[in-house]
Amino acid sequence: MKASLNWLKRYVDVAEHPDTLAHDLTMFGLNVESIESLAPSYSGVVFGTVLECGKHPGADRLSLCSVDAGRGRPLSIVCGAPNVRAGQRVAVAVEGAVLAGGLRIKRSKIRGQLSEGMICSSTELGVGEDGGGILVLDFDDSPGASLDGRLGQTDYVLDIEITPNRPDLLSHLGIAREIAALYRRELRPPALAPLDGGAEFRLEIESGADCPRYTAAFVDGVAVGPSPVWMQKLLRAVGQSPINNVVDVTNFVLLELGQPIHAFDRDALAGDAIVVRRARKGERIVTLDGVERELDPSILVIADAEHAVAVAGVMGGRDAEVRPETKRLVIESAMFEPRLVRKARRQLFLDTEASYRFEREADIGVMAAAAARVCGLIAEMKAGVPDARTAEYVHDRGALESRTVALRVAQTNRVMGTQLAADDIAALLDRLSLPSRTGPDALAVSVPTFRRDLVEEVDLIEETARVYGYDNIGRDETIRCGTFSIPSPEDRRSELVAGHLVARGFAEAITSSFMDPASPGKMRWDDADERSRCVRIANPLTEAQSAMRTSLVPGLLDVLRRNTPAEAEEIRIFEIGKVFIPAPGGAGLPREDLRCTAILSRQADPLQWMQPQRECDFFDAKGEVETLFERFGLCGSVSVSETSGASGRGVRWFRGGKPFAEAFVVARPVLEAFDVEGPVYCFDILVDELPAGAQWPVMSPVSPYPAVKRDLCIVVDDRVRFYDIREAIAGEAHFLDSLRVFDYYRGGHLGEGKRSFTFRLSFRSPDGTLDGMAVDREVQRILAALHREFGAVLRTE
Amino acid sequence: MSGPADRDGVREVARSAARAFAEAGDLAALEEARVRFLGRKGEITALLRSIGELPLEERPAFGETINDLKSEIEGLFESRRSALGANGAEEDHFSGDATLPGRRATAGGTHVLRRVVSEMKAIFFGMGYSLAEGPDVELDYYNFEALNFPVDHPSRDLQDTFYVNRDILLRTQTSPVQVRYMERHRPPIRIIVPGRVYRNETPDPSHAAEFLQMEGLYVDRNVSLADLRNDIAFFARSFFGADAKVRFRPHFFPFTEPSAEVDMSCFSCGGSGCAICGRTGWIEIMGAGMVHPHVFRYAGYDPDAYTGFAFGIGIERTAMLKYGIDDIRRLLGNDLRFLGQFWSEAAPEVAR
Ligand SMILES: [Zn+2]
Repeated sequence: MKASLNWLKRYVDVAEHPDTLAHDLTMFGLNVESIESLAPSYSGVVFGTVLECGKHPGADRLSLCSVDAGRGRPLSIVCGAPNVRAGQRVAVAVEGAVLAGGLRIKRSKIRGQLSEGMICSSTELGVGEDGGGILVLDFDDSPGASLDGRLGQTDYVLDIEITPNRPDLLSHLGIAREIAALYRRELRPPALAPLDGGAEFRLEIESGADCPRYTAAFVDGVAVGPSPVWMQKLLRAVGQSPINNVVDVTNFVLLELGQPIHAFDRDALAGDAIVVRRARKGERIVTLDGVERELDPSILVIADAEHAVAVAGVMGGRDAEVRPETKRLVIESAMFEPRLVRKARRQLFLDTEASYRFEREADIGVMAAAAARVCGLIAEMKAGVPDARTAEYVHDRGALESRTVALRVAQTNRVMGTQLAADDIAALLDRLSLPSRTGPDALAVSVPTFRRDLVEEVDLIEETARVYGYDNIGRDETIRCGTFSIPSPEDRRSELVAGHLVARGFAEAITSSFMDPASPGKMRWDDADERSRCVRIANPLTEAQSAMRTSLVPGLLDVLRRNTPAEAEEIRIFEIGKVFIPAPGGAGLPREDLRCTAILSRQADPLQWMQPQRECDFFDAKGEVETLFERFGLCGSVSVSETSGASGRGVRWFRGGKPFAEAFVVARPVLEAFDVEGPVYCFDILVDELPAGAQWPVMSPVSPYPAVKRDLCIVVDDRVRFYDIREAIAGEAHFLDSLRVFDYYRGGHLGEGKRSFTFRLSFRSPDGTLDGMAVDREVQRILAALHREFGAVLRTE
Repeated sequence: MSGPADRDGVREVARSAARAFAEAGDLAALEEARVRFLGRKGEITALLRSIGELPLEERPAFGETINDLKSEIEGLFESRRSALGANGAEEDHFSGDATLPGRRATAGGTHVLRRVVSEMKAIFFGMGYSLAEGPDVELDYYNFEALNFPVDHPSRDLQDTFYVNRDILLRTQTSPVQVRYMERHRPPIRIIVPGRVYRNETPDPSHAAEFLQMEGLYVDRNVSLADLRNDIAFFARSFFGADAKVRFRPHFFPFTEPSAEVDMSCFSCGGSGCAICGRTGWIEIMGAGMVHPHVFRYAGYDPDAYTGFAFGIGIERTAMLKYGIDDIRRLLGNDLRFLGQFWSEAAPEVAR
């Protein structure tokens, strides 16, 4: 809401500097977002007296003047204005002055005569309109005195954020009321004596629910013309272009009282009637903006005896528009059901000052007074002769009365944390024009109709707190602490994973929750993959942001493509975030899983002098998952299987039969679809599935006896997998403490179709030092078993 | 008396042997030195031979001295040989230059937003707040209706919303967790809810379509606006520094009343006014207020029995203030060079 300071001063005294006022209003809950100064922008203009004024020798229409502008000697100035006369007090733009339009004044020759300045008109100074002549000043000063900032009315415009609960502040009177409360000053509302009802006019309201109140006032002998300068100035200040006296007065009252007013050309109303009804199906209207619109019964209209002449509360129609030749008016001051106005406004895409206010609920008490205010102004500016009577409809007269709302003193203090007495509270509310009767424990507060936001006790508590001053509450700064907390292991799980990966050299990324709906296709997930279906946004910002992500992989590949400089070497990026899997059947909320996903690419370690740099590979990714699992105590409950999905080959880990992690090399077609250079390795873990805190490690005895180590090097067929051999050894061996594979070799001198593994087996007993011979026999037994199961033989060099 | 046979001469041999062994840079040089002292024609042998020049009664004592010397030199030799190591060269732990850079691991780090959230959590945990969470894809009921945003009311225009369908939307605030949590717990409740929220706004330097928020909620008997002010003031001092001050401006949120926007004294100018704070000396950091009785009713609490406060902090905005970040879009840009600036524990020193 743009508010003119001059306009506000019509209703309340404001001596404060606009900056101070803005600060004080902001702290009072009226957030002033900007202050604009409307001071005229000329400079270098001084007071002068026309000493002589004669004809210009070379031009009939020009005068040659001698002007005292305090320069020691009179200046010679050529002037083209017809009204310049000797003896006038004028505004002189001397050399170097800059006028409103940016014109810089220089000495110059005009038709052969030297002109050392300019005698200014109001237009040239930007302080008003003129009738084609110079501005003749009506005050005295010494010649040469600066006039900068002194001509024209200075105004300031405050742009104030008005929250939806305060429609009463969408008016200058409403804001003035707050200023009066803030500074404890007297409010001077305009004279608002309503006219008497009972005019002879056909006013029909179809539904009192749709239109609780309608006041129609009447004006005859209308003379459409310009509105007075003072009104134009105020309207212009807040960004409204003056149109004519009738339209301007409706806009003025809208911005003064907050009540939208509409003026109809009474002679254009068929049957001399106003009917407020729902539109008929397919009914059409051409609105004031010249657009023909189709209506339906969900839209409330103002009609005459035949057809719609306005969309109620939104915009008038062209048929009954006020024209220059209009002679008679019907002035509408009404209230419409907010939701109906909102619906029509949205359906027709028509945002207007009127709809904005009706949607936030009009003040049902002000309609008749606002109509009277319009009539009074029309009479005052001689724009017409208002009828002394109005036609009035009120659905429920009780709604015009002040409401009484009870306010408990104890509850007020309980919410605010104060110790106010009933009288203190009453005094605070009184400043907001909220009178009350005080009892010992409670107040009965009388709420006028313009405060439609004050409905229940808590609304009054807020007003009490606001006037008392939020910053006067809780000054002791003591912390009340009746609760204790410790983050649960589940709470800490994602922090632990993040901390672990960071220590492992991963950089954390945070990408968008949105996903391009094309991504599942680019990832080559098949229909059976739950990631291929996503939650779709009905009103997305862009098509590429129209789905909720089902995986973090596409986002990370995007990070790799867009944000990793070509010279970056070790790429290790992870993200922990939610993915959204649609509910079965698509109804209801999706499942939200917390996943930790990482990509690895390019070099495995930094470029350093002591070792050759190595490209990262699949086992870097897999090893990170295994290390992380170890950190979370996972080993026995996890099984692993090879995968060869279209998006990449690798392994998948299962827990309780449920897949919960995978590591894979991203398939080449996927990389191409995401325009990423490969190879790229990836791992992806369902964080929710990592065990957290339910069980903690319990000490088990550590064997004091030394381990006995044996290396075992076997050759098997090239299709035998490490995982199976390991399972076989673990199943066979006694006292096996650890098994590590430290050499792996395929083909070459082993011959085609063969591979070899070298294991370091470590044996340890809790009961005593193992006998070397016994361990050797154990190894032989293992070897025999491996031979049986896999045809394994010892490798002999 | 002078000559090799005196005791000073024996000490001199020991010293020169020690010197020679130490100077031997490899096994060959050491062997050379060994031969010089312990060889058949070496200095020990020469000393033993000189025994004949001594009077008879001094010979046994001198012989003993020479034997001691011999075992001392043998000891020196052994220790030097083992020092030279298996490959025979002197063990060099530094490749000859200890100023070479050490072996480094790839550097990683958390995202600056996680850092901010973690710092905030730590502060609120210390104040007795626990962690709670809720879904990003949320029911209209929890995001709006139960938070006292009536259907078809202009208050819904305050937040541009992404919809999935008529009933399901992307939460525009973390506040829906208030009702979800209250439905399942009894007071006292003191929680924080960090999470991502969504607004259908075209991104610009200070607005993003998705951002993080941290909700706070405290419900108990007689929780007051004064308690809210004090908690927020304590948080601001803990997070931004001991000089940070807060002020409360009355505002409107449908789900709190009284409601406030909270400003913090400008960290840059300290309150005198600068470009960062728009010359006001204050910067808005959160919205807050007392839980509206309607919200309590939706959650099944008796508004006469309990009061409470709630607040919502914008994480990105706070991160931008604390770390001087000029454009919110950088925080989702994932430029590693940008993110890497916030990995160190303190402001990095400027490398010479
Ligand atoms: Zn500042």
